[in-house]
Amino acid sequence: MKTVSSLLDKEWYKRYRAISRLNIRSSIYDVTNRCNLRCRGCFFFSSSEDRVAKEEMDLQKWEAFIDREKERGVNLAILIGGEPTLCLDRVEAFYRRLPTFCATNGLIRLPRDRFPDLMVGISLWGDEEDERLLRGRDTFSISSRNYEGDPHAYYLYTITPRQIGKTERIVRRIRDAGLKLHMQLLSNDEGVDQFFWTDEELVGIRAEMDHMLDSYPETVVSSRYYHQIITTGKMFGRRFGWDECPSVTEPLDRRDPRPRRLTGFIRWASDLRTMHRCCTSETRDCSTCKDGAAHMSWVMVNKRAHIRTEQDLKNWVEVYEMFAKLYRFIPW
Amino acid sequence: MTETTADITIRIAEIMINELKLEDVTPENFDPDMDLVDEVGIDSMDLATVALVVQDEYGIRIDEDDYPKLTTIRLIAQYVQERM
Ligand code: SF4
Ligand code: SF4
Repeated sequence: MKTVSSLLDKEWYKRYRAISRLNIRSSIYDVTNRCNLRCRGCFFFSSSEDRVAKEEMDLQKWEAFIDREKERGVNLAILIGGEPTLCLDRVEAFYRRLPTFCATNGLIRLPRDRFPDLMVGISLWGDEEDERLLRGRDTFSISSRNYEGDPHAYYLYTITPRQIGKTERIVRRIRDAGLKLHMQLLSNDEGVDQFFWTDEELVGIRAEMDHMLDSYPETVVSSRYYHQIITTGKMFGRRFGWDECPSVTEPLDRRDPRPRRLTGFIRWASDLRTMHRCCTSETRDCSTCKDGAAHMSWVMVNKRAHIRTEQDLKNWVEVYEMFAKLYRFIPW
Repeated sequence: MTETTADITIRIAEIMINELKLEDVTPENFDPDMDLVDEVGIDSMDLATVALVVQDEYGIRIDEDDYPKLTTIRLIAQYVQERM
């Protein structure tokens, strides 16, 4: 039987052991149905998820709900929306009770006296031109001022085919603002300029992502294997999609056979009762889904499949470390 | 006939090999003290799969909060024996 220590040298084995017992159990929460932007291609609004559930306004109900989530075993609350910073009391209710990550468009600065080490992921959809086109304004000029040099914030840089060949300038701007970034790909079913990732473009963007990681290792939080998985949608000959996706809300998961999946994962709507199908919108086509967290989780839940060769296991360790860094389970 | 810890250890190893489809190992040569997380690479989902079968077979309940303690086959066998 292949064992972990027979495949890894001392240093890599130490890295493996630093993450092997983290047992991350995440769930996702729509903190609000409102947003101060209306981005073209936002999965939340384009699939009308903002109208699926009536937002719970009573803070005490949020607090009781979060306590129940904690009892359920959740140890990572991922806050999305709408725009969570429009409801700081709710964000605080999570932050006081659970390890919490907050996604934001960065237009409102989270007061750091109230949230000293809350991990913040700021969305960015490309350069000024793309941002104006897709989001109606250049958010970077505001968000980079709000979070400049913040050690607990990073950019979630969503790449579209329009940005092939243009990513380096963005990476440098983020570096110059004293921040880090994580790259993800826009899925192609969100009605943005009807774009479609061609196989050629995916090969091109993978090489560009690798190049950014190699050239800016202090700024880019990523791994080559993650680039491979997200651009090819394949792992050991298996294809990512509905049959394999680990990020399906557990109580709604009727798949048979059930694939390896995130234990206890639920994406909750803001009424605190409604559950969404998965970590992104129900209208998305699983066969072309490029959700970054779902792809990372796909690797993470398939650990034993990677205990094959030294390189396979190192790939797994790097993806898990990347996730653990992005959600503050281990330091940068 | 009462089962000894050694019998239970072998049976747990067998369940683990079958349920997790472990290769190149037999119940007899599976080191009962090998760390399941740090060496075999099992995770909580694997342990839950094994626990389901063990619970059914021995008519006991394995509390999920106890998973972190069940780090070797020998420790699982002892846990089972204490509850039989
Ligand atoms: S900022 Fe986020 S939630 Fe708001 S519209 Fe844009 S993508 Fe959607
Ligand atoms: S849309 Fe993506 S994240 Fe959602 S179930 Fe399908 S593959 Fe998974």
